[in-house]
Amino acid sequence: MISMVMQGGPSHIDLFDPKPALDKLDGKSFPGELKFDDAAGATKEVWQTPWKFSKYGQSGMDFSELVPHMGSIADEITMIRSMHTGVNNHGQSINALNNGSALSGRPSLGSWLTYGLGSENQNLPAYVALTDPRGLPVLGVDNFTNGWLPSLYQGTVIRPKEPRILNLDPPMSLKGPAQDRYLAFVEKMNRKHYEQRPGETELDARIQSFELAARMQTEAKDVLDLSQESEATHKMYGLDKPETKEFGSRCLIARRLIERGVRFVNIYTGNQTWDHHHTMAKNLPKACQYVDQPAAALVLDLKQRGLLDTTVVHWGGEMGRLPVIQNRAGGKNDRSKVGRDHNTYGFSMWVAGGGFKKGYTHGSTDEFGHRAEENVVNHFDYHATLLHLFGLDPGELVFKRNGTDQSLITNSDARIVTDLLA
Amino acid sequence: MNRFFTERNWLPGILFLVISPGYLWAEGLFFEKDIRPILKEHCFHCHGEAGEIEAGLDVRLRRFLTKGGDSGPAIVPGDAAKSHLLEVLKSGEMPKEKSRLSDHDIALIEDWISAGAPTARPEPESLGPEHLFTEEEKKWWSLQPIAAPEVPNHADHPIDAFIYRKLKKVGLTKSEAAGPETLIRRLSFDLTGLPPTTDEVTAFIEQEKYDSEAAYLSLIEKLLASPAYGERWARHWLDIAGYADSDGYNEKDLLRPHAWRYRDYVIRSLNNDKPYDEFIREQIAGDEIALAEGLGPDAATDQDKNRYAELISATGFLRMAPDGSATTNNIETRNACVSDTMEIISTTLYGMTIGCAECHNHRYDPISQADYYRLRSVFDPGFDVPKWRVPRSRLVSLQTKEEAAEAARIEVEAKKIDAERAAKEKVFIAEVLEKELAKREESIRPDLKTAYNTEKAKRTPEQKKLLAAHPSINNLSPSRLYLYDSTYKTKNAAVLKEIAARAKAVRDTKPAEQFVHAFVELPKEPKAVAASHVFHRGDPESPKEKVTPGDLSVLASWRNIEVPEFSEAVPTTGRRLAYAESITDGQHPFLARVIVNRVWMHHFGRGIVASVGDFGVLGETPSHPELLDWLATRLMESGWSLKELHRLILTSATWRQTSRRSEKGDELDPDNLYLSRQNSRRLEAEILRDALLAVSGKLNRKPFGPPVPVMPTEEGGIVIGNDTTDSAGRQTGKYIPLDGEEYRRSVYIQVRRSRPLDMLAAFDAPGMTDPNCELRPVTTVSPQSLLLMNNSGMREHARHFASRLTERAGEALDSKIQFAWRLCFARMASEDEVRSSEAFIEAQTKYYQENPTKFERASGPAEKENADPELLALGAFCHALMSANEFLYID
Repeated sequence: MISMVMQGGPSHIDLFDPKPALDKLDGKSFPGELKFDDAAGATKEVWQTPWKFSKYGQSGMDFSELVPHMGSIADEITMIRSMHTGVNNHGQSINALNNGSALSGRPSLGSWLTYGLGSENQNLPAYVALTDPRGLPVLGVDNFTNGWLPSLYQGTVIRPKEPRILNLDPPMSLKGPAQDRYLAFVEKMNRKHYEQRPGETELDARIQSFELAARMQTEAKDVLDLSQESEATHKMYGLDKPETKEFGSRCLIARRLIERGVRFVNIYTGNQTWDHHHTMAKNLPKACQYVDQPAAALVLDLKQRGLLDTTVVHWGGEMGRLPVIQNRAGGKNDRSKVGRDHNTYGFSMWVAGGGFKKGYTHGSTDEFGHRAEENVVNHFDYHATLLHLFGLDPGELVFKRNGTDQSLITNSDARIVTDLLA
Repeated sequence: MNRFFTERNWLPGILFLVISPGYLWAEGLFFEKDIRPILKEHCFHCHGEAGEIEAGLDVRLRRFLTKGGDSGPAIVPGDAAKSHLLEVLKSGEMPKEKSRLSDHDIALIEDWISAGAPTARPEPESLGPEHLFTEEEKKWWSLQPIAAPEVPNHADHPIDAFIYRKLKKVGLTKSEAAGPETLIRRLSFDLTGLPPTTDEVTAFIEQEKYDSEAAYLSLIEKLLASPAYGERWARHWLDIAGYADSDGYNEKDLLRPHAWRYRDYVIRSLNNDKPYDEFIREQIAGDEIALAEGLGPDAATDQDKNRYAELISATGFLRMAPDGSATTNNIETRNACVSDTMEIISTTLYGMTIGCAECHNHRYDPISQADYYRLRSVFDPGFDVPKWRVPRSRLVSLQTKEEAAEAARIEVEAKKIDAERAAKEKVFIAEVLEKELAKREESIRPDLKTAYNTEKAKRTPEQKKLLAAHPSINNLSPSRLYLYDSTYKTKNAAVLKEIAARAKAVRDTKPAEQFVHAFVELPKEPKAVAASHVFHRGDPESPKEKVTPGDLSVLASWRNIEVPEFSEAVPTTGRRLAYAESITDGQHPFLARVIVNRVWMHHFGRGIVASVGDFGVLGETPSHPELLDWLATRLMESGWSLKELHRLILTSATWRQTSRRSEKGDELDPDNLYLSRQNSRRLEAEILRDALLAVSGKLNRKPFGPPVPVMPTEEGGIVIGNDTTDSAGRQTGKYIPLDGEEYRRSVYIQVRRSRPLDMLAAFDAPGMTDPNCELRPVTTVSPQSLLLMNNSGMREHARHFASRLTERAGEALDSKIQFAWRLCFARMASEDEVRSSEAFIEAQTKYYQENPTKFERASGPAEKENADPELLALGAFCHALMSANEFLYID
């Protein structure tokens, strides 16, 4: 699975979920009840999206002009317009979508999947986090934590800049047979040390991380070498353009990782990249441009290589945004500085491949895009559906802790959303 | 729908266990303790707290529920079936747009209604601010006065007594004591962050044989007295204080060249065992203490001057948060700096998430939004957001009047030399001009000369044109004067340089002006002090009601929470002074508990309250509440001596236990909450690096002073070194040696938020991109292993370590191996280990004889000569020991 985590909350009503009902109300007071979240400057002044929507593909899926490339893969993806976590803040909502509860400290989705499925490549980490050069998302390393699962299942960061993995080259004076002997000697010491300390699984995880590191020296070098890709591929991911090169490179690396059997890859955008409380007119297009082409290219590329059927791709943030203006600034008709507040009650994200439907739009929000109304999918449902697609039974994918079986899903009402399945 | 999800209830239950206070159902259900917390979390916001009450229904009191709202009564006591509330909860209609309540919570409410919906006591007449919190909320454990519990009689040592009592309850027993070799290694790292030397190990083992208790006690004393103790434990404090040598906030991340004085203050204070209450008072109000004591840079004695510098340095604590105002000075950056400082205060002093109340009342703990701003008001006059001072303007000079006068006198001397130089320069220019003119046709010389001597702006177009035709005259300027030296075989530049050097030499005799990165409040008339307000949704541009300074109002029932707005004693508002005295009065429920818990965590790897930064409802409850209070009381009784607290903990059998696991322990207590053994722990980033330096013999123990710089490498990593990138950020390849500074302890390495040292970042040292770090993660990932295997710094350590072994020349290989083993693991190698080490070294020697190579260096020019194959082989052996788990982990 590849999950593109758009932390901050991309505005669904400006990207994926057009709301003509807001036309008439634009500039007027919002007629219904609004759930503002924690942010400052709330108003009830309705703000119709300033961006044009069009229908894409045979499915006629809606996308705004900010994400035309995503539009071009409309017939490959499932758009879920009725996402809901209902927990108010970034941290809590990230947790909900990532570890199944609003609380911190539990294992992340990637850890659960690698715990349940292992890896198909013993020379690369099973779970990789591709972080953004602008910094980690809210909650930092907790986004890819193993929680109380063994340390073996935590996400390994591949750096956003070169060298993407430090210390990958063996030193001249300790390489080849000299390094082999060194590694064997260390392993012998470590095995004996671990044998004398039964149950100290952290020591075992360290031994395994050493073995993995040794194997990564060659394999990771190879997987990160994007020069092996054709010029057409580079172009497809936008590596030829400064505005898409960075994210495009990471998307391409993600494909190369998945291709080699890595189980789970997170691709992050920077801290609060999508948290447009203000100056949205300028910043949302910028954020979209950064990811639109590469994200779409990733889906297409996987498809071309016959990998999409066995790979789930996800694109989305932890929340959407409100249909009203936040942080009123500037003159009455000046909307250059305003933004939108958080909305975890109804928002959109898309998934593709791995058994999800193609060209399908699921659920809806109310006429103003505030609340998920029809076929609501909450984080429990989303996780249940994912586990199902991976052939995992949440009743069996458990970790014993303090005498009870712990699972990714903490709510007995979670259901598999069969409508999403191809 | 999947049958599995609907037919089996496999809800793990952690959710409600953590959130609800965990009273036993069987005790009888009451609104206040069982029902209200559920409604508060899920319903209060719309049905009571927010201005407009939804559907006319207020759910904050039982009688409001029976009265009901637009849809009639919400509950009918005794008749669950007729209770509308239950209906909407069960159907999931409420809470609107949120997940349905858990079955457990709904069942609780149903049973409570069926039982007649009892309350614990008559409900208040009205819900004024005094009823903001219920009795139940006020009863939360961490808000209670610190008790002085009786020590149970389960063991001689009080800590063991508390621990054994609990172990017995859960059906576990203590483990045996760890062996002396394990103990000395554990104790050395714990107190000093350094491995024991071979001599220390030998001496300890020897003494141990005669009187193990005395040997152990004297070892504790020796380590506590070591300056390394302060360096080690300062690092713990600097984590929560958020220490950094740069401003952070944005990518510019400007340096804070004087922040290190705060770091040194912490190290000195800990080494001197400064009472913890005093330590806190100085950090909160050092500037006001100095005012109260009449201390300043011009204090009469050196002692007083030093005391002043110490007090001012202490306030650096309040200036640790990221501050973006040096680059963007607006309301947003200013407020962010205050807000981050509040976060640091909240973590260090309260162990509570007070920051959650910045935008709204705390959702779980009894902390109101007004409380947040009352507490902030204590610090507001010092921050002075309306008249904000950017970082540079907040620096405090330690210069005395005499020093200033002396500096001014020297400057006059230097200026004289400057004038001499300027005059000389003028002469040289005139001379060169004449020589240049002499080369031109005579006819144009006068015009050229006039043109050159005319001010640039006043030159006529003709003059400009004329000069342009004679570039060697046109370009003649002081900065280019040296270019003419070769033409005319003069030494003008050298002469000028010599004069400039003399001026500099004179200036260098000025007494150096020292600055402190400090938090100082400027004295103001009371009416000029800006009022503090609650900010609507945390927005500094939407101030609401005024607040006066004070502590959390939930404590008001049993202690004074008011802080006077103004003080007679000092010319500043005196708020921080009064507040600092109040929280260190020995009665405050948080201060002592929080520090005792943190110290405990550093000794055991886990706090008595595991959530060291959250003593609130969402945090974890203490595993040993009585022990926590007993320790807090003991700390205060000992005069707040942290060293005494260490002695107490370290002398317990609980601390001295082996860390080996037992099957029974793992089954009954997988997280070792009850301490039936010690915890095995990985070395933290800094002490791992320090240990590498220590065993390789290179550690430079020089204390204090400006930080050792870090620099980016060409490969994009961050290593120790003088940054020689040019202003465009390009590598110049220039290498400025650090002369041994690079081997100093990690606590002295620059903490630049945007440049975390690779070695430290890989092993989870905080980058301080958050304001502070209350609890470090402990990760185990392959990039760490890659670093241990391949990093050129590791190769350098290996070479130094190997050289250290060869200095024992003449000794047999097995004794070199034993020496290395004792340095790294504080024990002798077994025969087996010696043999396999010998075999390894011999094989590597043979390999290097056939494949000659050089050692790598961490920075600077590469080695020129191939290394001795035996040294390389020994290096590989040393490298292996330094990357082994036995080195990385403490038993």
